[in-house]
Amino acid sequence: MNVIEINQLTKYYGKHRGIENVTFSVEEGEIFGFIGPNGAGKSTTIRALLSLIHPTSGSATIFGKDCIKYGSELRRDIGYLPSEVFYYEHMKVLEVLKYSASFYDNVNYTRIQTLADVMDLDLNKRIDDLSYGNKKKVGIVQGLLHEPKLIILDEPTGGLDPLMQQKFFDLIRTENKKGATVLFSSHILSEVQKLCGRVAIIKDGTIVKIENIRDMQKHNYKKFTLEYSGVIDVHHFNLDGITNLTLDKNTLHFLFKGDINRIVERLQGQALLNMLVEEPSLEEIFMHYYQKED
Amino acid sequence: MNIFKKEMKANVTSLIIWCCAQVFIIYAGMMKYQGFIDSHVDMSKLLAGFPKEIMVIFGVGSSLDLTKVAGFYSVFFLYFMLLAAVHAVMFGAVAVSREERDHCADFLYAKPIRRFQVIMPKLIAGVINILIFNMVTFGASVFFISLHNNGDGMFNQVSLTMLALFILQLFFLALGAMFGAVLKNTKLATSVSGAFILGFFLISVAVDLYDKLTFLKIFTPFKYFEGSTLMLDNQLSFTSAVILLIVSVIFFALTFFAFNRRDLKT
Repeated sequence: MNVIEINQLTKYYGKHRGIENVTFSVEEGEIFGFIGPNGAGKSTTIRALLSLIHPTSGSATIFGKDCIKYGSELRRDIGYLPSEVFYYEHMKVLEVLKYSASFYDNVNYTRIQTLADVMDLDLNKRIDDLSYGNKKKVGIVQGLLHEPKLIILDEPTGGLDPLMQQKFFDLIRTENKKGATVLFSSHILSEVQKLCGRVAIIKDGTIVKIENIRDMQKHNYKKFTLEYSGVIDVHHFNLDGITNLTLDKNTLHFLFKGDINRIVERLQGQALLNMLVEEPSLEEIFMHYYQKED
Repeated sequence: MNIFKKEMKANVTSLIIWCCAQVFIIYAGMMKYQGFIDSHVDMSKLLAGFPKEIMVIFGVGSSLDLTKVAGFYSVFFLYFMLLAAVHAVMFGAVAVSREERDHCADFLYAKPIRRFQVIMPKLIAGVINILIFNMVTFGASVFFISLHNNGDGMFNQVSLTMLALFILQLFFLALGAMFGAVLKNTKLATSVSGAFILGFFLISVAVDLYDKLTFLKIFTPFKYFEGSTLMLDNQLSFTSAVILLIVSVIFFALTFFAFNRRDLKT
C-alpha cells in the first residue's frame, strides 16, 4: 500500500516556478529519501502535502485520501519537522511541546521527557535562548511525540552535531521499525544513503529519477581511477555508460555503469601506472543531476 | 481552547497598556472640565475665536455646550473612536498573521486543525479584548463623570455611547482581520489598516468642514455615530448600527474565505 501518492503535482507562485508535474509514491513502512539542491522544490512538495500551500494543479493523497480535502484529519497521523524551525520565542521548550501535544488526542505526555532525554534537550530553557541545533531538537521532539504513522522530515539534520545526528537516525529507525513510514528530505546525500531505501531526486522543480539506493550503488556504478605513464587518449573511453569523466594530468577519473568487461577490453595494450576500481559514493553518482544545465 | 488561551496571553500586556492609557485620558479630560468650570470664562465666546478647521479636528465643531458635563464628555467620543479603532484594527491584523510573522506557521498549521479553527478562537479573543477595553472605558467614564457631576455618572447615556463604540470596535477588528488574511504580511496589513483609519478620519473632518461633502459621510465609520447625539439626545442611530454590523460580518466572512485559500509562508 502506498502511504503517499503524488500525481502530477504542480505549484507556481505567480509566474515563479515552485514544482512541476512531480510524481512519486512512498510505500508503507519504508524510509523514502527526497533529495535535491536548495531551491529544487523539496519544501514546496512537502508543504503542499501538508496543505500549507495549495497546488496549482495535480493531486496528492496520503493514506489514500486527498491531502487538501482531508488535511486536518490526515495531519493527526503526520509528524512534521519543518526545515526552518521557529517557535513562539517567548515560550519555554516544555510549553511549546505541551502546546503542540494539546492538538492531538491521547498523547502520552511522558514521551516528551523520554524524547527530550534521548535528544539531550533542556525543557526549561526559553526558545529564544536556544541555538539552531537545539531548536532542531525541539522540532524533532514535537514531530514525534504523538507517535505519527507518517513522519515527514524536511532537512532535519542541519545544526545537529554528528553524535546527535546518530541518535536522531536511531530514533527514526526505531519509529520506522514500529511501523512508521518516513519521508526524508535532504540535500546531503550521505545521510540519505545511511537511512533510506529508495530515493527521489528533484532538480529545478521536476523529479529527475527515482531509484533504489542499494541497487544503484552496489550493482551499477563503479568508480575508476586510471593513472597513465604517457599521454591519455580520452576518446578511447567514449563509451556508453561512462559519466563524470575528468582528466587530471596523467590521471583519469570516471564512473561506469554496465558490463565491466568492456572497460577491461579498452585497457588492453595501455601503459598504466596504477588503477583503482571503487564503490562510488552517492554524491559522485548524483553529481550530474546536481549540476545545473546551461 | 488552546489557541484562544494563547492569543489572550499574547495580548494581555498590550491590553493593560491600552486600558491604562484610556483611563488616563478620561481622567485628564475630566480634570480639564473642572478647570473649565472653575475659571468662569465664557467658553462659547472664547471658542468662537478659533478657526472652524481647528475646532473640527478637535471634535468640537458643532455648537456644543461645553459647560455641561454631557456636552464636554461627548467630545471624548472622537478620541475614543480613534483609539479604539487603532486598538481593534491592530489586534485583527496581527492576530490573523501572527504565526507567519513569527515564522511558526509551519508549526501551527501542520497540526490536525482546520484553518477556521485557528482563526475563530483568535477572533473570539479579539472580541473579548475589545470588550474589556470597552468596559474599562465605560467604568472610567461613569466614575470620572460622577466626580464632576454631583455623583451622577450618566449611566444611560454612557452605556449607549459605549454600545456605539463597541459596534465600531467590531467593525475595525473585522477590517484588520481581513487585511491580515488578504495581504502579504503583518507589516503590510498593519500599515494599510493605519492608512484606512487616517483616511476615515480625514473624510470625517472634511465632511464637517464642507457642507458640499456631506455625501461622503457613508464612507467613514467615524461619522456613523455622533458623540453629541449619543450623550445629549440619548439616541443611537439604528441604521448606522445595522450597516456597520453587516459590513463587519462581510469582513469576517472574507477573512475566513481568504485565509482558507492562503499559501502560508514559512
